[in-house]
Amino acid sequence: MSAVAERVTATSATAAAETLARASTERRTVRVRGAATKDYLGDLAATDLVLETAALSGVVAHVPADLTVTVAAGTPLADMQRALAQHGQTLPLDPPHGDRATIGGVVAANSSGFRRARYGGVRDLLIGTTTALADGSVARAGGRVVKNVAGYDMNKLLVGSLGTLGVITECTFKVLPMPAATAGIRARFARAADAFAAADAIARTPARAAELVVEGSDTWQLLVVAEGAASAVERTMTIVASAAEARGSAERDPDIERGLAPLRELPGTADGILIRASLPPAAQTAFAEIAMQLEGFARLVADAASGVARVHVRGDDDDMVAAADALLAAARVCGGSARVERRPERLRQRVAAWGDGDLPGLFLMRRLKEAFDPNGILEPGRGPVR
Amino acid sequence: MTTAVRAGLRGRALIDGLTQVLGTGKVLGTREDLILYEYDGAVDTATPDAVVLPNDTADVAALARFCHEHAVPIVPRGAGTGLSGGAIPVEGGVVVSFARMARILEIDVANRRAVVQPGLINLHLSTAAAPHGLHFVPDPSSQKACTLGGNVAENSGGPHTLAYGVTTNHVTGLEVVLSDGTIVRLGGKAEDSEGYDLIGAFVGSEGTLGLVTEITVKLTPLPEDKRTILAAFPTMDQASASVSAIIGGGLVPAAIELMDQLATQAVEAAVGAGYPLDAGGILLLEVDGLRDGLDDAAERIEAVCREHGATTLRRARSALERDKLWAGRKGAFAAMGRLAPAYYVQDGVIPRTRLPEVLRTIREVSERHGLRIANVFHAGDGNLHPLVLFSDMSELPRVHEAGLEILTACVEAGGSLTGEHGVGMEKNCYMPLQFSPADLAAMRRVKRSFDPAGLANPGKIFPTPSRCREFQLHQTTAR
Repeated sequence: MSAVAERVTATSATAAAETLARASTERRTVRVRGAATKDYLGDLAATDLVLETAALSGVVAHVPADLTVTVAAGTPLADMQRALAQHGQTLPLDPPHGDRATIGGVVAANSSGFRRARYGGVRDLLIGTTTALADGSVARAGGRVVKNVAGYDMNKLLVGSLGTLGVITECTFKVLPMPAATAGIRARFARAADAFAAADAIARTPARAAELVVEGSDTWQLLVVAEGAASAVERTMTIVASAAEARGSAERDPDIERGLAPLRELPGTADGILIRASLPPAAQTAFAEIAMQLEGFARLVADAASGVARVHVRGDDDDMVAAADALLAAARVCGGSARVERRPERLRQRVAAWGDGDLPGLFLMRRLKEAFDPNGILEPGRGPVR
Repeated sequence: MTTAVRAGLRGRALIDGLTQVLGTGKVLGTREDLILYEYDGAVDTATPDAVVLPNDTADVAALARFCHEHAVPIVPRGAGTGLSGGAIPVEGGVVVSFARMARILEIDVANRRAVVQPGLINLHLSTAAAPHGLHFVPDPSSQKACTLGGNVAENSGGPHTLAYGVTTNHVTGLEVVLSDGTIVRLGGKAEDSEGYDLIGAFVGSEGTLGLVTEITVKLTPLPEDKRTILAAFPTMDQASASVSAIIGGGLVPAAIELMDQLATQAVEAAVGAGYPLDAGGILLLEVDGLRDGLDDAAERIEAVCREHGATTLRRARSALERDKLWAGRKGAFAAMGRLAPAYYVQDGVIPRTRLPEVLRTIREVSERHGLRIANVFHAGDGNLHPLVLFSDMSELPRVHEAGLEILTACVEAGGSLTGEHGVGMEKNCYMPLQFSPADLAAMRRVKRSFDPAGLANPGKIFPTPSRCREFQLHQTTAR
């Protein structure tokens, strides 16, 4: 392996595929790079090549009345959102690094935000992909229609694959009209259990909050955003206020985004260790109570509707390592799973990104990796399948 | 149709072997029993070599191990309502009926999840969840009969998937048995699991990656209220233009269904849903959610329909009236018997804005072939269901020809061969219309990763040389 990686700019899906085919033949490893906002995910390794996707840029097709958009993978999410906004539409995804992250990176990292509570995550919004594969071929999956069961849903395998199966060059999404009205409530509680109970009470109503975020360290908050027709938004605010006031205090927050933005960006800003857990919704309280007992616990942020909880731990190295181990185990005990989303470089050997790595179905994942990348050139070691 | 039989073990030896492995009362092998399993909701048939009725996952794993050892194909079957021949043992082998694995294992209200067996009937789940204010969203028209296992295999939709998503958006956990008998549990009650999204690959794989033995799904709070609107238009063009205008105008209803005059006539004769018989096209629209804002949304929809020439606008005033309007739509396929002894239903998808032109193409196809075609479909999703009517089997080649022309038009409009009925053995030869050899090769890699022996529902999804040669020759000549 050379000390400095050769940088290659992908100019088209075909060109990217040719680069991969050559690399595969020569057994040269490849890293896929969009805006490099999420280098902290998994175990990024030095590679022989870095394939840059930034030149794959721009909206390829947007027919507003079809509510779909096709976009080149190197396009910044923010650029695409601006293009959609001109037609009063939006892709309801609010991942971290939304100002710089590319579409391809958002998909490859399965990077969803809080709006998943109502609109679903990347896997629910992505309806088509074009991917350059290690054998030099270009494979399309799905299409530009919102409903499609022709063949396997290959898009799903690419979501969260961290570039290990192929290089995504183009994506098609379902999009939505911008909501007519938006409003927010911020509620405060003494205990995590109260915050999650209020969130659960709201999630069980037909109100369909757009964002339902629990945040806490010493004290706990619930931040709720409602979107839609003005009268439905107002009614949702009433439902939220009554659920929150039964357990704490609540107030309308006209600038709730200011409170949500730093929580959303936690993966990009956290020092120390950040654990990301996906839990059965009702297990979040138990998980939070375990987290709070840990030495070094700094903060928990959860999309309480989806059961995605992030725990930030900081301080002494030994404490952080112990906390990470405890949280990975706790997620499993709670009926979910977790990974180490971020940790200091110095702790990379002591804290494995995927814990013991014993994932259900790992042997199937290995076969898939082997089938798509037989020479193991794509992002070696980055994901849990190795 | 010729059947390419490849089962390694057949006849008495297969029946005896399976009985030895599973015990008595689980294996069917007489001629009279087997012919009951040679058809499903589509037109093709093939007789299985044996039928197995497992009681539990251990039975499924045992039969899979046995079949793997003897190179016998395994074909899962739910209620047999599938419309693409998914449950037909086209290459012989064992049909696995999930009729005895049909229980709700758990309704977990706190987590808004249900854990069920694959043979459970779709509607039974929503009925059981309703007292808790919850329901399972995908609601195919066959929901009184079709099973959750079938829904997972086909990634089923239904009228209300426009706003809430199809089956794949509602499955969080699966227990599967691979074709070699390995039991794998994927996901659970949490929304994400680490590593590749194997559940996402499995849902919609039509039994070709393995058998599903347990399913965990999301349950969604029932909407507080609904508004259901019937809008009748002089022409289909006006009806379909309204669909684009409603969605383009920033409103996404929970459901938008479209029916043409021929379909309306059949439905009225059979169900008496109260649809106007003189209309060229009828839209059935629903908005749901919190009560607040629903009247506004309904009024906006009605205004758009009026602008596009709607002659009748009727809003259901009671649950009874709403149910009656929906009974017409859900009973539409069954009502086709009023028009002709047989029909062939297609399932193409197009971008919504291409509706008017593709509907015109369908009309041309109908005239050219002298076949009546009724249209009943999910207009909000662009998911067409043209029903090609015919009288006797001698017309079948012409019917297939018409169906293929419609599908080709869908794909050329930027759409798909199938929106919810699946590829099965009905459209596997057509897959090259939509997918390049490289696209199909990528899918084959997934197939081989799960089912290296090729015993899980063979002859489905992928073009097979034996059955597709005729089609390929035909395509070559046509060019």
